[in-house]
Amino acid sequence: MVKNITIFTTNTCAYCQMVKKYLGAKGMSYEEINLDEFPQRQAEAIELSGTMTVPVTVVTKQDESKEVIIGYNLSRLAPAVA
Amino acid sequence: MEPTEDNPKHDVVVIGCGPAGLTSAIYTTREDIDTMMFERGVVGGLAAVTDKIDNYPGFPDGVEGLKLADDLRKQAERFGAKIELGEVSAISDEGEYKRLSTTSGDIMAKSILIATGSDYKKVGVPGEAEYYARGVHYCATCDGAFYRDKNIAVIGGGNSAVQETIFLTRFATHIDLLVRSTIKASDVLQKELDEYVQKGKVTIHLNTTIDEIKGENNVVNKVIAKTNNEPTEFSVDGVFVFIGLIPNTQFIKNTPIKLDELGFILTDKYLSTNMKGVFAAGDVRSGATMQIASAAGEGATAALMLREFLEGRLPTS
Repeated sequence: MVKNITIFTTNTCAYCQMVKKYLGAKGMSYEEINLDEFPQRQAEAIELSGTMTVPVTVVTKQDESKEVIIGYNLSRLAPAVA
Repeated sequence: MEPTEDNPKHDVVVIGCGPAGLTSAIYTTREDIDTMMFERGVVGGLAAVTDKIDNYPGFPDGVEGLKLADDLRKQAERFGAKIELGEVSAISDEGEYKRLSTTSGDIMAKSILIATGSDYKKVGVPGEAEYYARGVHYCATCDGAFYRDKNIAVIGGGNSAVQETIFLTRFATHIDLLVRSTIKASDVLQKELDEYVQKGKVTIHLNTTIDEIKGENNVVNKVIAKTNNEPTEFSVDGVFVFIGLIPNTQFIKNTPIKLDELGFILTDKYLSTNMKGVFAAGDVRSGATMQIASAAGEGATAALMLREFLEGRLPTS
């Protein structure tokens, strides 16, 4: 079971819009951290994903385990939030 | 074989929601032709990940790619287009209906438009895959923000490379533009680029081929190259690659649909493939001009051909 979802995004990132659109279509709420507005949180995104890219979606489960999905990757995102 | 009760049936299935696919859906749905769309990536395709589009008609001041894509989607949905975020993995011809294997299960379609577009090519050098998304990038609008006050290299010399170099100047301290031969971008873009060259933000290196992307401690730190056949190195924090396009036709490799030698779909003058009822439009089509306006135009043409086909009026070429 999903406890919460956090997405790291930027203003110009189309793939970020797709992640938000997908979660929105599933009726799922999420916290968005826009790295253009909060550049000081870039390091957090890099540490979580090991990459310098967005979107980074962090799905936290009820048992506090985390799944980190890099990019707009439906084959990983869909089961992670199911 | 007739479709089973369990398989949803549609008059038109459009594979790909870029400008060609969305335009075709605007036309078909506006004529009340039942249309289902599939998109495995970004609605809007490569147009959506382009910072600014200056040559799409009707926008005197240019338009952000993301905005154009979103407006095309809204327009198609206004007339009833249904967009499924999922992937089509195979097509088979079963007579009146084609069967599409999708991430949502099999569906049946009387006609299909393949508008899957293209993706950016890889350079194919050591280090490129290893540092993917950790210093090597293919989407400036996604990843440019990670290079604020850093030095980067852009590989390529076409419209995309120059457009994205200009976009990246808002973040990077300095950009080395590495061009295999000469710059082939439009004069307008070259003129704009020259402003950044004059300011010292961009340095252009012509006749430069890439040998390797190197890094240390998991971070890219240099590009090994040759300029005019002389070995050279560029100290950079990241690399953005825009060296051309490859068609998204992997999913039809095992079908009878004919492709050209580069993998683009061959069509006749009606945009019809050699599989009856299956059409192609936009960047995925052999002979496409790789322009957003052309893709939209082909989408409109394809919609009219789909209608003619569904009504049994499409001549054979």
